[in-house]
Amino acid sequence: MERRHSRPPLPTLRPDASPDPLRRALLVGFGATYVLSLVPFAWAQAVPDAAMAPFMALSAVLVGRPSLDPAQAKRLYDALAANDPGFPAAAKQLLDTVEQRKIDPMQLQQTLNDENSPLKDLPRQVVTAWFLGIVGSGKNARCVAFETALNAQVVADILKPPTYAYGAYGSWTRNPAEGPDHG
Amino acid sequence: MADILSADYIVVGSGIIGSLVARKLALAGASVIILEAGPRVTRGELVARFRNSPRRSDWMSPYPPADWAPHPIYQPADNGYLIQAGPYPYPAEYIRQVGGTTWHWAAQAWRNLPNDFRIKSLYGVGVDWPIGYEDLEPFYQEAEEIMGVSGAPNTGSPRAKPFPMEPVAEPYAMRRLRERLASDFPVVANTTARNSRPYDGRPACVGNNSCQPICPVDAQYHGGLSADAAEAAGVQLIANANVYKLEHDESGKVTAALYYDPDKSSHRITGKTFVVAANGIESPRLLLLSTSDKFPKGLANNFDMVGRHLMDHPSTSLTFDADEDVWLGRGPQSPSSINTLRDGPFRSEHAPYRLDFTNISRVDGSTKSLIAAGVFGPELEKRLRHSAAREMNVKNVLEVLPNPDHRITLSSEKDAMGIPKPETHYSIEDYTRRGAERSQQDFRRIAELMGGTNLRFSKDGDFANNQHICGTLSMGSDPKISVCDEWGRTHDHENLYLAGTGVLPTSATCNSTENALAVALRAVTHMLAQQGATSAPPPRDADERVPS
Ligand SMILES: Cc1cc2nc3c(=O)[nH]c(=O)nc-3n(C[C@H](O)[C@H](O)[C@H](O)COP(=O)(O)OP(=O)(O)OC[C@H]3O[C@@H](n4cnc5c(N)ncnc54)[C@H](O)[C@@H]3O)c2cc1C
Ligand code: SF4
Repeated sequence: MERRHSRPPLPTLRPDASPDPLRRALLVGFGATYVLSLVPFAWAQAVPDAAMAPFMALSAVLVGRPSLDPAQAKRLYDALAANDPGFPAAAKQLLDTVEQRKIDPMQLQQTLNDENSPLKDLPRQVVTAWFLGIVGSGKNARCVAFETALNAQVVADILKPPTYAYGAYGSWTRNPAEGPDHG
Repeated sequence: MADILSADYIVVGSGIIGSLVARKLALAGASVIILEAGPRVTRGELVARFRNSPRRSDWMSPYPPADWAPHPIYQPADNGYLIQAGPYPYPAEYIRQVGGTTWHWAAQAWRNLPNDFRIKSLYGVGVDWPIGYEDLEPFYQEAEEIMGVSGAPNTGSPRAKPFPMEPVAEPYAMRRLRERLASDFPVVANTTARNSRPYDGRPACVGNNSCQPICPVDAQYHGGLSADAAEAAGVQLIANANVYKLEHDESGKVTAALYYDPDKSSHRITGKTFVVAANGIESPRLLLLSTSDKFPKGLANNFDMVGRHLMDHPSTSLTFDADEDVWLGRGPQSPSSINTLRDGPFRSEHAPYRLDFTNISRVDGSTKSLIAAGVFGPELEKRLRHSAAREMNVKNVLEVLPNPDHRITLSSEKDAMGIPKPETHYSIEDYTRRGAERSQQDFRRIAELMGGTNLRFSKDGDFANNQHICGTLSMGSDPKISVCDEWGRTHDHENLYLAGTGVLPTSATCNSTENALAVALRAVTHMLAQQGATSAPPPRDADERVPS
């Protein structure tokens, strides 16, 4: 599954392609060049809803993934927005901040903390939604994804999410480095 | 419901112990009713609840309590059911539903060691049991054949017959531990109620790695199966029947159990013999609730022993990163341990312990830690894979000595049914703390042999609880320091028996359920003899339980 380990190819810009309203929305969402330098692949991404474009771009930066499933994105976005009506605007604001100040994702949390930014909870919320499939916290937490959460996906070559059968009896005795046990 | 139900035996609680006691009584020809506080829940519902849970590492999240039969819940917030009087918290976990708490256990099904029965005589600590290993041996076997236990013969508990099944295939991570620790520690397969081949109509383990909180295929035995087996043997199981009082006659014999249904209507069930098997906290609570003019301190409590001697198995642990990829989470959760420190002359000085290795996937836990640490971007995935592949964990399972000040009492607070809540009084004593200290050197050596880095010891003075609630109904020959005799029969009431881990007078170093089950199955022979059961128990036909 080399897509996880190698840098994605640079996007091929296709000036001849017919203008696509969603593509245009995505460009709007992205603002300018810094985020594109982090997630060039996002150019090629479909966005289910133009209003989601900033969320998609921000997500791509925060989770560091070459491609994000649009249907999953819609579910997470809807849940995050339902959880906090200010979420879409905050996502756009955080994206702009990252873009304008060229903040490395590994420095982002520290930066927001140091500045006591009102956006400081946002990166965790977004990444928790993508990686754990959980939106909201405490009593209001709910599960939006399980086996499609990214933390299940990024180890799917070796592990199955709990409650999913690993494989035939005893398949777990093998060294996983020798190759996948399950299909 | 008509309130004229009556039976030879009334069993309170349909957990693994109550259900298997009831089943054995019914197979001998007796009429048996089980009164169970909680509702019926299916395995399918539990699996769905787990997958949809926003707190997957909180094993109680698929088991929300019924309003009419609450149990303790700690996440997302403490539901305040189990009152903590301290000084050290005792956050017990158990489940009130048909089948009880073993719906979400790790299925470790151990026998004690022979010396565990005599620690007072041998080491001058704790108490001796009123029975010895040899008294229990046939009943261990019976328990293992019912549950379908797989294991290896090298864990220190002698046996007359082989295990029903060979050990479950060893996960790769455990193999690497066994190989790399061999110079210093023998790492052996755990004895577990988990199928290494199809057994009793249930499949072999397929490695779902969700043994806690729920095995989706029943490759692991649990109390829901015990309750099914009891009903198949003719037991009448009444769910949603929260027993709040036992009544007695002038002679002190118990005559009836009173229970609330979910609407808080009260019902009364009479019987000849009563068995309280509602677990190590709810059983003493029920005895304490059953006060009368004749027994103002509750039943079986003439010497104020009910609820005392609360014990469990506290654990401290070490998490580290091995120098090779081992990928915990392939295969079952609890495969292997080190058993060499469970017994020895040192027991006069410090607690013995078992060292237990987890094989629970690190993925969810690592994800949470990395997110909490603000690791974002491509680094997140990279570090997650690293932790998932390399993180390992070892914990000790420490013995606790019986201390009368550690106890379950009734709180002044009441639950939703208006019944006083249980309250815990607990602490971790020096004997146990010294054992924990001693195990630090093993932790370090284990990490060293695995090329471990990034060593993370559990916080100093923090002990995790293993939910093996022992001692609160201790059996013994001296009525002044125990609640029941070797048969679980209360010293004060000739037709009132107690069954479950609460009956165990010491905790030893292994998960307690099989010990409690063996004691209870042995007690059934006495219960039957007392009622002069005319029909002798039918021979336990192996074909009945073990598919060919
Ligand atoms: C996470 C976890 C992991 C565990 N892992 C292991 C393990 O690997 N190995 C091991 O040996 N043990 C393990 N245990 C402990 C094990 O679950 C208990 O020892 C076992 O369930 C005890 O069986 P029991 O039948 O006595 O009690 P329970 O299983 O608790 O059943 C008691 C029953 O009584 C019912 N009841 C309670 N009050 C009343 C009332 N007033 N009226 C009517 N009914 C009532 C309850 O609803 C319940 O159904 C684990 C426990 C937990 C929480
Ligand atoms: S590993 Fe899976 S199949 Fe095996 S016992 Fe655990 S949950 Fe059941």
